[in-house]
Amino acid sequence: MRGLWPLLKKEVREQWRTYRLLIVGSLFLMFGITTPLTLKYLPQILESAGEGMTIEVPPPTAAQSLAEYAGTIAQVGVLVVVLVGMGCVANELRSGTAVMTLSKPVGRGAFVGAKLMAMSLTFLVSMAVASAFCFAYTVWLIEDAGVMAFVELNLLLGLFLVFCLAVTLLLSSLFKSSLAAGGIALSVLLGQALLGAVPYIGHFMPNKILGWGNSLLTGGGESYWGALAVTVAAIGLCTFAAQRSLKLRDL
Amino acid sequence: MKALDNLSLEVPENVVFGFLGPNGAGKTTTVKLLTGFARPTAGRAWVAGEAVGGDRGGFRSVIGLLPDVPAFYDWMTGREFLQMVGELHHLPRPEINRRAEELLETVELGKSGGRRIGGYSRGMRQRLGIAQALVNRPRVLFMDEPTSALDPMGRREVLSLIMRLRESATVFMSTHILSDVERVCDMVGIVDKGTLITVSSVDDLRRKFTGSVFEMEFMEDPGPFREALARVPWLAQPEIVLHGAARVLRVKAVDVDRARKELPRMIGESGLTLTRYELVLPSIEDIFVDILTRGETI
Repeated sequence: MRGLWPLLKKEVREQWRTYRLLIVGSLFLMFGITTPLTLKYLPQILESAGEGMTIEVPPPTAAQSLAEYAGTIAQVGVLVVVLVGMGCVANELRSGTAVMTLSKPVGRGAFVGAKLMAMSLTFLVSMAVASAFCFAYTVWLIEDAGVMAFVELNLLLGLFLVFCLAVTLLLSSLFKSSLAAGGIALSVLLGQALLGAVPYIGHFMPNKILGWGNSLLTGGGESYWGALAVTVAAIGLCTFAAQRSLKLRDL
Repeated sequence: MKALDNLSLEVPENVVFGFLGPNGAGKTTTVKLLTGFARPTAGRAWVAGEAVGGDRGGFRSVIGLLPDVPAFYDWMTGREFLQMVGELHHLPRPEINRRAEELLETVELGKSGGRRIGGYSRGMRQRLGIAQALVNRPRVLFMDEPTSALDPMGRREVLSLIMRLRESATVFMSTHILSDVERVCDMVGIVDKGTLITVSSVDDLRRKFTGSVFEMEFMEDPGPFREALARVPWLAQPEIVLHGAARVLRVKAVDVDRARKELPRMIGESGLTLTRYELVLPSIEDIFVDILTRGETI
C-alpha cells in the first residue's frame, strides 16, 4: 500500500496531538482502577448510603472484578470507539484534507489502513494499560487471578473493539456526515449483538467473542471460533470496502 | 444535465494555461477529472504522458494540486505538513528537509514554519497550499484560484512565481481574476455551460478582437456625444465608464476603417475638448464577456 508508513506516522501523531490517546487512555484507566475498588468497597459504600438498611453483599471474586471491567470496556468502549471513529474519514472528506492527501501518490488503502491501525493502537494501548491496572488492583484488593485467562479475554475484547472501529471507519467513508456515520455504526453494532440471540446464526456474531472471553475467567464455557473468524473477516472486509468506497466516489 | 460536454483539450508543455468560465461552467469539474478526483462517464485523459485515474503512483507523482480552498491538518505545523508531503512523494530524507525549508522560504513562511497551521491566516494557508503543490517539482501544476485569498503584494509574488514555474512545468490555472490571466497566461481556454468555447493563445485572441474599441476622454461631459454615437450604424455600444476619476467614452467599431476616418471628424464637430483618443486592445475581460455573449464556439 503506497504511502502507508508516512500516513501511519501522521495518524499516530494525530492521536497524540489531538489528545485522543490521552482521553481514551484516561477513561479506560478510570474503569480499570475503579472497578476493583468499587467491588471491594461496595459493602462500605452501601452502608454509608443505606440509612439503617442492612444489605448482605458476598465478597467479590477476582473473576467478578475482571469480568465487570471487561463488560464496562465492551459497552462504554464501543460507544467511545464510535464517537472517536465516526469522523475519521467523513471529516476529511468534508473539510478537503482527503483531497490534499490523496492528490499525492498514496493509495486509498493506505489512507484507510493507516487510520484503522492508528486508532486501533490508541484503543489497544489504552486497554492494555487499563487492564494491567485492573489486574494489579484486583490481585491486591481482592484475590489472585489467572493472568493467562485475563490476557486471552483482553485479546478477544481488543479484537472486538477493532471490529467496531472497522465498521465505524467504513461508515465514515460512506457518509460525509460524521453524525450519520456514527448513528448507523451504533445501529449496526447493536444489530449484530441482537442477532447473537438467534439460534445458529448467533454463534457467528462478533459479539459472541465477548461472552467467550468472560467464560475463560471461570475456566469453562463454549468456544466461538466461528465468531472469531467472522470478526477477523469482517475487519478485513470493512477495510476493503472503505477503500473501495473512496476509489469509486468523486471527491 | 451534463457538467461537461465533449471537452477535448490539449495543453502544450511549459505554458501557463488560464482556464476561464462563469460560475457553474465546468471549470472545477474539469480540474477534478484531470486530477483523478472525478470519473468521466466517457473519455480519457493523460497528464504529462500518464493516464489519469486510480492510485497509480506514476500519474500522481508528476502533478501538483492547489485546490481553491486548500485544507490542512490544523494540529500540524507548516513544516511538518511539507515533510509529510515529501514522504508521500518518496523523496529521500535529507531532500525532504531541504525542500521543506526551501519552499517555506519561497512562499515567505520561513518564520512561521514551526507554528501550527490552525493559527495561520487565510493568506498563509494559501501560500502553504502553493508550497505543498511544489514539493515534488511537478511537471504539471493544477491551480484553482491561486491568488484569491492574497493581498496585492502576495498576488504579485504568486504571479511572479507562476511565471518562473513556466520554465520547468506546465501550469493549469483555473481563475476568475481576468487581470491575472492577462499578466501571466500564455494560453487561455474558455468554458461555458460545460462546453469548451475556445482555446487560443492570448495573443491570437487579442488579434481576433483587436482594433475594435475606441476610448476618448474630454474636458466636458461626453453624455450628449455618446447619444450621438449611439445613432451611428458603424459604431456599437457606446458607453461611459469610470477609470478612476476620469469619465471615459468607449465605443466599439463595427466598421473599423470607417471609424478611423469618421470618428475624428465627429469629435471635431462635437465642439468637445479632446484630452485622449485611443484605439485600444481589448482586455481579456472584454474578450471573455464578448465570447460568452456570442455563445458560439470560436
